[in-house]
Amino acid sequence: MSNRMIVEVAKREVVVRARTKSFRIITALLLLVAVAAPVAVRLWPSNDGIDEVSIGLGSGMTTDDGADLPAMLVSMGQQRYDFTFVDLSDASPAEVDAAIIGESAEGLNVDVVVEPGPTLAWKDRVDDELGFLIASALRQQGVLDRGAELGLTDEQIGAIVTPTTVTDRFVEEPDEFDETASLLAMLGLMTAFIIPQVFGQLALQSVVEEKSSGVVEVLLGQIRPRTLLAGKILGIGVLAVCQIAIVVGGMVGALLLLSDLELPGSPWMFVAVLSISLLGGMASYITLYALLGSLISRQEDAAQVMVPVFLPLMAGYIVGQTAAFGAADSLAAKVLTFIPLTTPMLLPVRVARNAISGVEIAVALGLLVLSVAVLVRLAERLYEFTLLRKGTRIGWVEAFRGLRAPSGS
Amino acid sequence: MALRLEVVDLHKRYDEVLALDGLDLRVPEGEMVGFLGPNGAGKSTAMRAILGLVSIDAGRIECNGGPIGEEARRHIGYMPQERGLYQRMMVHEQISYFGRLAGLDGATANRRADEWVDRVGLSDRRDDLIQELSVGNQQRVQLAVSLVHEPNLLLLDEPFAGLDPVAVSTMIDVMKEQVASGVSVVFSSHQLDLVQDLTENVTIIAGGTTRASGRVSELRNNSPRRILEIEWVGEAPTWQPAAGVATTSRSGATTYDVAADTDPGALIAEAAQVGQIASVRYEPPGLDDIFLEIVGQDPS
Repeated sequence: MSNRMIVEVAKREVVVRARTKSFRIITALLLLVAVAAPVAVRLWPSNDGIDEVSIGLGSGMTTDDGADLPAMLVSMGQQRYDFTFVDLSDASPAEVDAAIIGESAEGLNVDVVVEPGPTLAWKDRVDDELGFLIASALRQQGVLDRGAELGLTDEQIGAIVTPTTVTDRFVEEPDEFDETASLLAMLGLMTAFIIPQVFGQLALQSVVEEKSSGVVEVLLGQIRPRTLLAGKILGIGVLAVCQIAIVVGGMVGALLLLSDLELPGSPWMFVAVLSISLLGGMASYITLYALLGSLISRQEDAAQVMVPVFLPLMAGYIVGQTAAFGAADSLAAKVLTFIPLTTPMLLPVRVARNAISGVEIAVALGLLVLSVAVLVRLAERLYEFTLLRKGTRIGWVEAFRGLRAPSGS
Repeated sequence: MALRLEVVDLHKRYDEVLALDGLDLRVPEGEMVGFLGPNGAGKSTAMRAILGLVSIDAGRIECNGGPIGEEARRHIGYMPQERGLYQRMMVHEQISYFGRLAGLDGATANRRADEWVDRVGLSDRRDDLIQELSVGNQQRVQLAVSLVHEPNLLLLDEPFAGLDPVAVSTMIDVMKEQVASGVSVVFSSHQLDLVQDLTENVTIIAGGTTRASGRVSELRNNSPRRILEIEWVGEAPTWQPAAGVATTSRSGATTYDVAADTDPGALIAEAAQVGQIASVRYEPPGLDDIFLEIVGQDPS
């Protein structure tokens, strides 16, 4: 009977919350963002790190003059630049300057001009990387020219200018910054930080609404407090999972339609850990927030009682952020991984950063599941004492004292 | 007649406040009992104790001849003093939901909700949110919620509070129907005239203790006072009977509060000497007087 009642309470939570305007609007907005983000990326393609550069060629620097500078630059800088070359060999110095500062009467616009000397003419500052590339090309061009003057064959010149290939060797695993892993870690952290909080507060509101409207007295005439709490956790949890599924489904669908779904390496461990952590986190925080709601009788008092729960959330978020972009192995990150209230935030981050072993993952998840069971049991006991109390806020000491009081008659 | 509910020597203390101090309540099967007492007397606490919403320090609660338990409580319908409904649920949905919580299957709960929506006159508001209803209509829904699972014991805490006359009439009809079908009803109310019209059985409590219990007519007859009302022909004379006092006077009529052992014949003869009498009414005090008589003994 009790399980059926839990399902009834859960169903009510889902149905009533899901039809509120705020829930629908937020879900629609999240879905819109999830679908729009990949579409926007596709419609607004990135340059893949390649900059477009316009180079003016002064007299003696154009192909017509027998120089191979453009070909050399294209060859040397193709990974980094998309070059456009503008012939300024017949331009006056004033016309060259106008082209550099973008005020040319002919509409010419260049980033730099290679003048005889050779000299590089810039607007008001040197682009070191581009300058170094042009200088290297000019040196290379000089070597080729002198080789030709000395009567060397193309092969001989080629042998001289071919750069020595240098390879890298690492004594330890290279400490590279993996941008994808960090983004994945941040995604997990944000999810584990925001979702339990949002739905936890929904649980708090729900409990306070039941207390302030007096409906809790009618409810408890039929079902036990623990049934009510369990149904609430289940219902709001299901609502959260549905919202996440809608948003993630929308994003994956958009990516599949755009054929852009390229998952990094092996994301399944991350997805599995994030899912379990998120479920554990939601169960923990929904329970805690529901319990906090039972300590007060007015929504206005909610801010006061939420502070203790906000502290582990903030600690987990701050340490998680540093772990996502750097110190995934710091002592703080390691410790908070095994504290159940911060596990949901730290564990996915460290898994994404590949900074945790399988055994540690199992232990952290085990502790999380165990703590959820203990927390729900404890909350049920406290809930029985606090739920029918009205008026001023019930202090934690008083609430725990209630654990010793007999329940019912 | 067999007892549906028997509460014996109930005690409950909240820190410094003694809420129940040996309260007794007996409710026969298929009867209505008015559960009366001043504010803070312990009526709501007693009802909550019966429902298991508050623990008791001592005493005994029995239902249908045995200790009350979860199963027996499932057959109690309850309407709390501070009404409790989900404001953002629809009328029919809410009644059905509470039916399912009381153990009904979905189809039965929906059917009963349909019936109760009609019965309390809210057919045209079936799919309205509770927050869109007037207070009176919300009370009708509350009544339906307490009855949807067909309880055998109904606990109504101040059911008439805040109701307009039409809603009071509906409430009274429903309560009478329930009693006629064998349901036992316990209700608290400060509207003693209504109580007297509704039931012969009352239990009066004060300070957490049962002060009087029984049939209204017995309580009235056991009173040490009687009420003599004389309607005079013409202006009422200034007359004070030897065995009582004039309590109220209106144009042409005076009410006297006299001792129960007074000879009414002698009293009326004495009155006839001071004025011409049009009519006389001599009876025990009403329930409101009895209530004040009993509760007045309570120093709290």
